[in-house]
Amino acid sequence: MRFERMKPFDIVIVGGGGAGLYAAMEAMKTNPSLNIAVLSKVYPNRSHTSAAQGGANAALANKAKDDTVEMHIFDTIKGSDYLADQDAVDVLCSEAPKIIRELDNIGTPWSRMDDNTIAQRPFGGAGRPRCCYCSDKTGHTILQTLYEQCLKKGVIFFNEYFALSLSVKGSRSRGLIAMNMKSGKVEAFPAKTVIFATGGYAKMYWNRSSNAAGNTGDGQAIAYRAGIPMKDMEFVQFHPTGLRKSGLLVTEGARGEGGYLINRDGERFMARYAKEKMELGPRDLVSRSLETEILEGRGFDSPAGKYLHLDLTHLGADLIKSRLPQIREMSMQFEGIDPIVEPIPVRPTAHYSMGGIDTDNFTRTVMEGVYAAGECGCVSVHGANRLGGNSLLDILVFGRIAGHTAAQEAGKFEPGTISEAELTAQYDDIRSFMHSSGHYERYGELREELGQTLGTNVGIFREASLLKKGIQDVAELKERFKKVRVFDTSDVFNTNLMQVLELRNMLDLAETVATGAYAREESRGSHTRTDFPVRDDAKWHKHTLSTQVNGRVALGEKPVTMGRYELQERTY
Amino acid sequence: MTVPTDQHKELKKDVTFRIFRFNPQVDSKPYFDDYTIPVERGITVLRSLNYIKEHIDASISFRAFCQAGICGSCGMRINSLSQLACTTQVWDVLSKSKEHGVIKVEPLRNLPLIKDLIVDMDPLVGKMKHYSNWVDSTMPEASMGKKEFLISEQEFLRYDKATDCILCASCVSECSILRVNKEYVSPAVLLKSFRMNVDSRDAIHEQRLAELVKDHGVWDCTHCYRCQETCVKSIPIMDAIHGIREDAIESRGMKDTSGSKHAEAFMSDIEKKGKLVEATLPIRTNGVLWTLQNLLPMAVKMIIKRRTPPPPPLVKSAKGIKIFREMFREMTEHVKQDHKSHKK
Repeated sequence: MRFERMKPFDIVIVGGGGAGLYAAMEAMKTNPSLNIAVLSKVYPNRSHTSAAQGGANAALANKAKDDTVEMHIFDTIKGSDYLADQDAVDVLCSEAPKIIRELDNIGTPWSRMDDNTIAQRPFGGAGRPRCCYCSDKTGHTILQTLYEQCLKKGVIFFNEYFALSLSVKGSRSRGLIAMNMKSGKVEAFPAKTVIFATGGYAKMYWNRSSNAAGNTGDGQAIAYRAGIPMKDMEFVQFHPTGLRKSGLLVTEGARGEGGYLINRDGERFMARYAKEKMELGPRDLVSRSLETEILEGRGFDSPAGKYLHLDLTHLGADLIKSRLPQIREMSMQFEGIDPIVEPIPVRPTAHYSMGGIDTDNFTRTVMEGVYAAGECGCVSVHGANRLGGNSLLDILVFGRIAGHTAAQEAGKFEPGTISEAELTAQYDDIRSFMHSSGHYERYGELREELGQTLGTNVGIFREASLLKKGIQDVAELKERFKKVRVFDTSDVFNTNLMQVLELRNMLDLAETVATGAYAREESRGSHTRTDFPVRDDAKWHKHTLSTQVNGRVALGEKPVTMGRYELQERTY
Repeated sequence: MTVPTDQHKELKKDVTFRIFRFNPQVDSKPYFDDYTIPVERGITVLRSLNYIKEHIDASISFRAFCQAGICGSCGMRINSLSQLACTTQVWDVLSKSKEHGVIKVEPLRNLPLIKDLIVDMDPLVGKMKHYSNWVDSTMPEASMGKKEFLISEQEFLRYDKATDCILCASCVSECSILRVNKEYVSPAVLLKSFRMNVDSRDAIHEQRLAELVKDHGVWDCTHCYRCQETCVKSIPIMDAIHGIREDAIESRGMKDTSGSKHAEAFMSDIEKKGKLVEATLPIRTNGVLWTLQNLLPMAVKMIIKRRTPPPPPLVKSAKGIKIFREMFREMTEHVKQDHKSHKK
């Protein structure tokens, strides 16, 4: 049998990271009699939530006694360059203290202050130290805690299942179709409600991304192909210092401790861009400075791409060993370089996707019974630029809301039946890549080229002619993709097939990113147009919507919800 | 991806990766495939495997996700040692290769093989569930979110290191008990159990402990320390295992399993005679019936070969036993004091 059919579920959650697990936990709490399944293409504890080191913002006022939810709201709106919806930010920041305490109540090992309360530290763009943390492994410990609690509650997990498509009838979904990696079977999950929580899509920049290999926007791509609109896809955050070879992050701490950024002429080039703050300017400014140095030919050359130096050698072995042990370990593990004796090769790296599936404040999409949360969804709370410490918070708050809403609304819907014909179509579709005739393209090359063109043409600096080239390149890659060959024909754990399907998802979404960036003729937050260098509130103070119509992107728009805060120039 | 070539041509070597292959659909038994690629300095084993998969043989299956040493997906045996492929530098392992220029890559041990370098993690998850590897909060669910627990830095430090565990299963793969008994709790699960047991927010410490002291539990560990030596996060796993044992002895006494009875018999012999009374050790550990059923044939053989240990009355106290007893008493007193200050 090539197919398998599950009994109908009340809620199927796609993705087992912070948002998905919180949704599962909250849904079981809201209504313990519900039949809930979590599908994940990895074991949930592997999810990319684990890579978040910094922490989660909440105005607990443990550290700064005068911190308030209101200040957190303002910082977030200002940070978003006024593109965030103010009512959504209100929800995010008001729920924050409750969610951090709840995580504490179920066993998250938060670091502690002298008075035994949850520790907080300062973070970029925040007026008060409100970032709650567990050493430098905050995301990891939150993910472990949520996974443990889900095991305790007996959540049903379908681990190593790769989601293929939504089964849609008219304006609503009948459930999900997924591939069991262990058997290669295509399985039907009829469900009253589906929650997408599959994380971000910044891996489409491939070697120029700090993301996990699997952050390929699977949930967004499935929703997009089912006709659900994506929102603000052009907003991708770049981090200034990614490692040259892998794009992995060298955290801001390295510059905080006194590291220099040096070009091939041996210059501390930040003097040109931020005379006073030098290496410690805001993230987007530093990223743009590194990119300018490279574009103007002052970077170092290597076949792995151009790069600059992050020099720590003058700090001395003692300081590096005591204060920056993680960075030293990383440089040695991933570049084979000891920063005590050699500078670290770095360049800006795609880090976070602000855009995602368009949802309301209750995580509902336009399709009945379909919800999206976390980096996968776009409420929007981050607008054009996300603040550090707000991404973990986002997945927790809106993961929880998604679980609660779906649990309350599941009763309204009937689970549909997923037909044999639909399963056959999916099966034939994925097997078609294994045909030898007419299939010869190698997915590795296409994936590499996708990252290259996005990094060059839809990267930190954008401009009409570059973006046109980017759109054209992506279209050509999509054509070539039709001829991609899956060389591994086995059913059991076919990672070759999985990577090809991930590439398809990235290609579909890349089209929306490039098209949105081309349309938005202004500079706002992470989106910098050299041909339109200022923010244009009259024309562009609005969200972009991308919908798939006849296989192509159709752009639409949605107003930004304002509130107490008027538009202001964003200066720090 | 561009694994080879850099501006420094001399910093490149040809490396052969000898990879374990097994596809249950077609292979009756596993075999090895050799792939030789040029590798420059600074390249990890995972990047090399990716290169081989993309350019030479797409059918090689392995797990990888974060590529940054935090998700724990890519645990495998590289030159016979369980570690993460993404944080292991090719040139580093090359210098320890048995065969010049060859790196052997195999799946983790002690977990069921699925395909090539992929093993089934479900048994480990099953054990985490069996030993309640979660905090069962003392706070009722309805009250949650309103107030935080007050926890001292000192308590945080007791479980801080244990929460570094990324469940990569390297320790599981190296564990010498699991090689002979797949039902054994596993080092990672003991570590997590310890982490839960020392958390003051947890309400089921006694219940978890009661499960841990049963067969296949904490007393089965033989202190080979391989788990701790191999841990990719350098977690002192044995401290956690000793921690659970001390806790078990203190709160439950020495009654639970043959393991704890064995330890007790050892202690009492050492205290009385300064050496072991081997002849009665099996009886004191496992009881008369078990000893007769399981060890009688061996005892007969030992008698035939004149290899029997001396009967208890003939075991004389070791030289200097008086001084030794004094030292023993002092040490026991020390340990007790230590425990008391820990509890505070």
